[in-house]
Amino acid sequence: MRSTPFPRPWRRFAPALIVAAALILTGCSGGSDDGAPASAELGDTGAELETVRVGLAASLANLYIGQEGGINNYWVAANVQEGLLGIDADGKLVPALASSWEQTDATTYVFTLRDDAKFQNGDPVTADDVVFSLNAAADPTLSPSTASYLYTFDSATASGSREVTVRTTEPDAAFLTTLTNAGSLVVTQQQFWDKYGGAIGTSDSLLLGTGPYKVTEFQPDSHVILDRVDTWWGGLPKVKQIRIDFIPDENTRLLAAQNGDLDVALSVPLKQLPQWEELSGGRVESVDDLSYTGLFFDLSVPPFDDPKVREAVASAMDRETIVDKVLRGNGEVANTIMSPPSLAAAYGGDQARDLLMRVPAHDFDLARAKELLAESTEADGFETTITYPSAGSQLGTAAQALAENLKQLGITLRVREVPTEEWLATIGDGQHGLGFMWYFSTTGDPAEISSYLLGEGNPSHIADADALELISKAGAATEPAARIDLLVELETLNAENTYAAPLWWGRSLTFFSDAVGVRTFTPYTFIGPWGNQLFAAAQ
Amino acid sequence: MIVVRLFGVLAILLVISFLTFSLVYLAPGDLVKNLLGNRPASPEAVAAIRAQYHLDDPFLLRYLDWLGSAIRGDFGQSIRLQQPVSTVIGDRLPNTLALVALAFLIALATAIPLGILSAAREGRFSDSLASLLSLIGLSAPSFAIALLLLYVFATLLPIFPAYGAGSGGFDTLWHLVLPAVALAAGIGAILMRLTRAALLRELQSDATTFARARGLREADVQVAALRAAAIPIVTSAGLVLTFIVGGTIIVESVFALPGLGSLLQQAVQFKDLPVVQALTLLIAAVIAVITILIDLSYLVLDPRVRAKGLNR
Repeated sequence: MRSTPFPRPWRRFAPALIVAAALILTGCSGGSDDGAPASAELGDTGAELETVRVGLAASLANLYIGQEGGINNYWVAANVQEGLLGIDADGKLVPALASSWEQTDATTYVFTLRDDAKFQNGDPVTADDVVFSLNAAADPTLSPSTASYLYTFDSATASGSREVTVRTTEPDAAFLTTLTNAGSLVVTQQQFWDKYGGAIGTSDSLLLGTGPYKVTEFQPDSHVILDRVDTWWGGLPKVKQIRIDFIPDENTRLLAAQNGDLDVALSVPLKQLPQWEELSGGRVESVDDLSYTGLFFDLSVPPFDDPKVREAVASAMDRETIVDKVLRGNGEVANTIMSPPSLAAAYGGDQARDLLMRVPAHDFDLARAKELLAESTEADGFETTITYPSAGSQLGTAAQALAENLKQLGITLRVREVPTEEWLATIGDGQHGLGFMWYFSTTGDPAEISSYLLGEGNPSHIADADALELISKAGAATEPAARIDLLVELETLNAENTYAAPLWWGRSLTFFSDAVGVRTFTPYTFIGPWGNQLFAAAQ
Repeated sequence: MIVVRLFGVLAILLVISFLTFSLVYLAPGDLVKNLLGNRPASPEAVAAIRAQYHLDDPFLLRYLDWLGSAIRGDFGQSIRLQQPVSTVIGDRLPNTLALVALAFLIALATAIPLGILSAAREGRFSDSLASLLSLIGLSAPSFAIALLLLYVFATLLPIFPAYGAGSGGFDTLWHLVLPAVALAAGIGAILMRLTRAALLRELQSDATTFARARGLREADVQVAALRAAAIPIVTSAGLVLTFIVGGTIIVESVFALPGLGSLLQQAVQFKDLPVVQALTLLIAAVIAVITILIDLSYLVLDPRVRAKGLNR
């Protein structure tokens, strides 16, 4: 799902200044925190924490993920609202509002609601509320950002006082993950929705859910305050209040952390990592973030309709060096669109990696790229432009490196930074043949990204019947391992045709102050009720 | 006179509303993509959203729709925030008003005395020092000044908070000090240079030479010169006030202040037309009112203008 940081062009000039500031700072602060223990090694004092202050790198306008569905919105809502199911630390589906569920046939699911499920206003969760929330989530005008994930959703009915039956239009192996808060479903009360005419998640209506925290204050583009509640079925969290400030400017965020104003800072920018690591009184932890970065081709724009051209461009990308130098190792060279953690349902980390590494990939080989280009329709080279979102400066650096390599092939690549919203509009607009795909998956479902990039209505304008058939077969596969086999086949087909050229799987950096520990820190921590994972660390 | 001016202002606002509408319409970006995010979208979902926001209506029809509602006082709903535009602007107006007022006061309180001092001691050390200060203020971009202020007064000497708007009242004012100083730096520098130039011109005028020749005390001469320089100073102060409104975009973003500047920036990027339209018109109207007030102030400041006005 998209990330929505709000970049400003003048920030380009800021690093020089901040580096100067940091140089002065390291001169007078008390040394670095090398060897700071990771959360896993910190002791839990068992004490309650009054307030944990969190800095977000984006500015939120609305708290309802159906209205604004950036990754930051998911992180905030995860403490407040739940789906029928949840995703645990290992990426597995676990009960949330549904205590159990059963698939009665290929397209029918029956959920039994938890008896102790309550909204934050004390009202019990009814089957009707769940049905209402699901219908709202699937309506593109009420919930533009979640509706598209529920494309196989057919109907939901309250089949008993504590039972909900959901039907899909066709077999869909990923359907259960869309009924989690990490997918598309956050259950709210119909009465609450109607009271505000559907305008939920605003500063007036706030948000009503069933999670461990309720929203007590929300000022768009400023902050949101979450207070713990005693209505959550999972118990009372140790942190009484979470204050989340939106600080889009990365330099301001760093200074705020230096001042000790932040206990947790999400999305620490890679290029600022050295400064954040210097901060006394805190540590930076790195974790896979289920994000995919790759080269994107629009096949409706010549010369990218020619597979040889696509392959030549993909072979001119030195992925190893970029991951090593640009990402400073905070990422992994990607062979495939799906990432190793997304295979969790069937394979563990190393097994998954081995399996994915068997898929052919375009290794960096300029000689081969030259050959390919010579055989293509554009043997003499061509000119094109690649745009990247200003929120992803690492993409810009990668694009510059690619431009250097392409120059040797006679291809002139102009690199252009644009605001994130403008970049979004270039994807598959029929005018930009070459671009980046930068996608944050929240559910970690193995088909989430590949079915978007290669499936029905894909932005690349790929019309490949074999790909569609594989996606449909994978959707109908009941056995996780069999489904992954089909998806691996899809990845192979993608590699052979160079529809999408994977670059790397991302890792995110998160800053924690020494006062705060997080019980389990995995790619899925912040899309679950993470307030309940925080503890007062022994210092 | 005033009535004619007001009609002129309305005409200008109408033109501005059309231009802004066209620019947002033509600017790169896609509202549907902004709403849907980077994810699969079925043609039905895209069609439903396009219909919801009338994106397939002809351009002129969309503008006239907007204009019709706006004339009735209905500026619509923010697409990004899903709240009425009046609420959205009302929520952020106090922060920006306080920020602009504080910045303007700081600029006036520092720049005008410095400009006078500088003119009175032309060529001496204090003049050079003031000129140097104004040169720094003029040439340093406001985001750089903002970051420098943050570093010095929020981190090295932790006197002021680093970001945010505080919890209201004095706390908010305290939070606004650094942003206001950052905003005042550039405009204060302009104001100082203009004050200095206006006063110097008066001090070198025949009237001043004559006053000195008559044997008036130097202090009286300077007061008379200052009074004569008041019109250009007030005019430039008014112009500078209109600059501040634009400067808030950068300063509010750096200090994570929820105000009108950051609202405008995000609304433009999101293509949130109702907000962009309402805000642009609000800013244009404020600027128009400021210029009218400046003109009116001439009546007070200059007896000649007053006499001319009475003779009509």
